[in-house]
Amino acid sequence: MPDEEILEEGVLNPVLPEIQDPLLRSLMADEPATAAAPAATTLEQPQAVPAEADEVDCLVIGLGAGGAPLLARLAMAGLKVMALEAGPWHQPEKDFATDEKAQEYLFWNDERLAAGHDPLAMGKNNSGTGVGGSTLHYTAYTPRPLPSDLHLQRDFGQGEDWPFGYEELEPYYEELEQFLGISGPSPYPWGPARRKGYPLAPLPLNSAAQLMVRGCEMLGIATSPAANAALSSRYYQEGVGWREACTNRGFCQAGCSNGAKASMDVTFIPLAVAHGADIRPNSFVTEIERDERGRVTGVVYTHNGEQHRQRCRHLFLCGGSVETPRLLLLNELALTSGQVGRNLMAHPGVQVFGTFGEEVRPYKGIPGGLISQDTHRPKDADFVGGYLLQSIGIMPVTFAGQVARGRKYWGQQLRDYMKNYNHIAGINILGDCLPHADNYLELAEEKDARGLPKPRLHFTMQENERRMNDHAEALMRRIWTAAGATDIWAFPRMAHVIGTARMGLSGDDAVVDADGRAFDVPNLYICDNSTFPSALSVNPALTIMALSLRTADKFLESQQRRDS
Amino acid sequence: MSLPTYPSGTVRTLLETEHVSEATRAALESRLDAPTTYEPQFLAPETYALLEAVAGRLFPQPDRPEQPISLAPAVDQRLLEGRADGWRYDALPPDREAMRMGLGGIQEIAHSLYQADFLALQDIQQNAVLQALASGRPPGDTWLTLDAGRFFEELLAELTETYYAHPLAQEEIGYVGMADLPAWSKIGLNEREAREPQPKN
Repeated sequence: MPDEEILEEGVLNPVLPEIQDPLLRSLMADEPATAAAPAATTLEQPQAVPAEADEVDCLVIGLGAGGAPLLARLAMAGLKVMALEAGPWHQPEKDFATDEKAQEYLFWNDERLAAGHDPLAMGKNNSGTGVGGSTLHYTAYTPRPLPSDLHLQRDFGQGEDWPFGYEELEPYYEELEQFLGISGPSPYPWGPARRKGYPLAPLPLNSAAQLMVRGCEMLGIATSPAANAALSSRYYQEGVGWREACTNRGFCQAGCSNGAKASMDVTFIPLAVAHGADIRPNSFVTEIERDERGRVTGVVYTHNGEQHRQRCRHLFLCGGSVETPRLLLLNELALTSGQVGRNLMAHPGVQVFGTFGEEVRPYKGIPGGLISQDTHRPKDADFVGGYLLQSIGIMPVTFAGQVARGRKYWGQQLRDYMKNYNHIAGINILGDCLPHADNYLELAEEKDARGLPKPRLHFTMQENERRMNDHAEALMRRIWTAAGATDIWAFPRMAHVIGTARMGLSGDDAVVDADGRAFDVPNLYICDNSTFPSALSVNPALTIMALSLRTADKFLESQQRRDS
Repeated sequence: MSLPTYPSGTVRTLLETEHVSEATRAALESRLDAPTTYEPQFLAPETYALLEAVAGRLFPQPDRPEQPISLAPAVDQRLLEGRADGWRYDALPPDREAMRMGLGGIQEIAHSLYQADFLALQDIQQNAVLQALASGRPPGDTWLTLDAGRFFEELLAELTETYYAHPLAQEEIGYVGMADLPAWSKIGLNEREAREPQPKN
């Protein structure tokens, strides 16, 4: 590897952190009065960083849907495990306000640069931080993918197949649904028959869900109450205790304050802690260290402004589709395939809103109350793959921002339209996305407040995504018209960032193997949405958790083989 | 359908009740009780005055002549602290630079259309300046290097989110989601809990 210098015997440290953002510095020079310069701390040289006395068996970076389940699994297997999470550990009951602005700390607010013809909005749309990661503000919409989602290439000759089939993930979906207490319909109307139904009945339908039922019935589209990882009644969870039922507060995307939603901080993380896992919040990893053979030996992280070193026998990188590739690129790690940062995908997620004569009051109830997967493989499709339909709740600040950006309303026109808020309901889709050479993540020249290069995400919808969005928008306009809506409009939107460290059968074109292990580095595993070979036509959280449990099991199996 | 209007005082009254959690009340009261005067701390006074005037056209509040919801302080504070919302259009320079360039560019449009400062224009002329900006192709050298459409979108979205985070703006649209304790049980079409306001018309 180029440009590496050996700062300590046996440890390679490729990162040369720059202290200041030159753009910011010149701006500061313009404004000497401001106190706003990011803390210009001189990073200590790595050899000055004290190592923790003990090496851990498994070190996990990131405690979202990718890191938390495997942390619990590995702890339960009796291994010495530790997790480093960039964000804080919240007390939702006390800290979480029913207020969008007050909850902005749940998002990854360090700036990412959005490039391409369809720049991806990040922040509240696509990121998370804190013990629990993005699950702290996910909608909890947890449909399983359908089996054909995993082999687009086989079926259409385009896109990428997963290195295993649905049957590999199925037992994990079942385990997760039971453990998390997912509320949903049994039997589930789409996909293969299931061995077990959902453990809890569906959550009640709110106004938007009722309107979508009405519109879809008139068009002959089947709907069902959706699977949601929020409790429709009190639920006892092994290793965790009793969790209370959902109170229909409709604020899942700004954090659940009563533990009804199965975010990682009220499910897998307490389970992991009960089995001895050591959780380190506010710990931002900057370096991954290796020995001469290329094996990971540990990481350097910043905690309360001080650098620490933690040694480990195995590293599990679970930082999500932006921070995972950023760390790999910064550390020049696992780059042989040339695929790190490539294959950036995002779900087409166009939303359609309409105004109804009835009162909707769209702030109440589980936001994604209803689903249809009739559009999984539409007969009249002129595109590869398909999408699901979902009714959506509307929080006022997010919605108003969308009206400003999407409808370009301002002044009295904007204020007048917003007065219809209690009569507005929305539906949206979530559709598959194909990888494309133009869509990728790279490190920008521009530095952030930590002195690290900002990630730049290039995204342009290709022909397939555009056709899918057009198909979906036309259909949703028909549904809303049939349901009685007026003043219908569409907000173009992409949701979830996927890809950037893909899984595959060969190190020639993939970063990790089917077990999540890096081809280049034998003791490095990656587990989050970055490893998805294709985007799937459903929300990613449930599948990230399934991969997480599966990766832990594959790792434990490999250790047993070594021991025997 | 005529626009619903909701009784005033709803949100302020609800904030006093047990329907609102401590954390929620603290967040909303801090906005209700924000000081009415604000000295800019990041933007120069004349730049700040321009931002205030622009905000006044993007969110006209003739219904609150005494005490409009102030939108410019939040922008100045954010720029001062260097806070970001997690992303930026790559087409735009960093936020501080974009704001200074963009506000200067609005002056340029005003001079190009009316040969006068934005602050000296009538409301209707100011609206025309902002309409030129919103259209994405305004006159002025600034806009050769600064993407007008993206700048306007970002500015409008930030002011909009600040406006609708204010309890009085939420009251205006009949939103009372902050009063979610102990639970919502009437969540379907045309269903209303006793604590939810009925429109006046």
